[in-house]
Amino acid sequence: MKSSVAVIGDIDTVTGFKLGGVKKGYIANNNEEAESALTELINNEISIIIITEKIADKIREHINKKVGSNVLPMIIEIPDKSGSSQREADPMSELIKRVIGVEMIK
Amino acid sequence: MAQDTIEGINPTRMELLNLKNREKLAVKGHSLLKEKRDALIMEFFEILDRVKGSREKTEKKLKEAYTNLTDAQVIMGDLSVQKAALSVKESVNVKIESRSIMGVIVPVVDSQIDSKTVLTRGYGFSDTSAKLDEAAKKFEESVALIIELGEIEKTIYLLAAEIESTKRRVNALEHIMIPKIKNTVKSIEMRLQEMERETFVQLKMIKSAIDANS
Repeated sequence: MKSSVAVIGDIDTVTGFKLGGVKKGYIANNNEEAESALTELINNEISIIIITEKIADKIREHINKKVGSNVLPMIIEIPDKSGSSQREADPMSELIKRVIGVEMIK
Repeated sequence: MAQDTIEGINPTRMELLNLKNREKLAVKGHSLLKEKRDALIMEFFEILDRVKGSREKTEKKLKEAYTNLTDAQVIMGDLSVQKAALSVKESVNVKIESRSIMGVIVPVVDSQIDSKTVLTRGYGFSDTSAKLDEAAKKFEESVALIIELGEIEKTIYLLAAEIESTKRRVNALEHIMIPKIKNTVKSIEMRLQEMERETFVQLKMIKSAIDANS
């Protein structure tokens, strides 16, 4: 299956990824824009969606509702240019803790 | 809790047989699911080893890319950078296949990113800075890393979901279903024995009544 990559983020992130060859960039300044961009991308069967952590945190519920436990699309959260947001609970290690029952070194 | 039985079952031999079959099935299913769970957890650990370095590497690369981008913006101005970015051609080509780990379908991404030279990126030289080239290169590298990271993280999420549900089923069988069935079997057996004794006593009484009469 052939598919493509898209970015949702602030203007600088989108510009940067355009330079790197990802042409589908959606600039999201608020939650509604981000949600509608995400919905559109999923409807167009874009399978890899790169999204900045800040935006992902804001529309977390929407993402979970849309993606759930489907195989595709994969949504990858990346830090934006101000660096990775210091989240109290990293969702990944949180998940691992829940599954394995012990905290893993990460 | 420990004495829970399945309600609405008559103490007959037929039901006893049925229940015994169910118990056998439940025990078999339980051991199979347990094996599945252990195998899934083994896979999970293997992938965890891969994810550990991957995220840090990606974030470091991205940070470099952002720094270069900011430099380019400072030198050339925001608008020129955006203009240059618009003329870069699409270079990411991904193919997604799927693979099954113990029945969990996980994506396998085969990404091809054409590495470009300064000449093939598509923007002109005269009004761009060398920092822009650097930034473009770093972003290309980041995209490759990000896609790889995405594959691993998605696999982890899917495996984790499967492990959780398998775990729940194993526990439900082990702590609820099997004890319930066992208790029910026991109570039916006891009830049947009781009935047998009752019949035996009745027969004895009838016999002694007949003996006394004759």
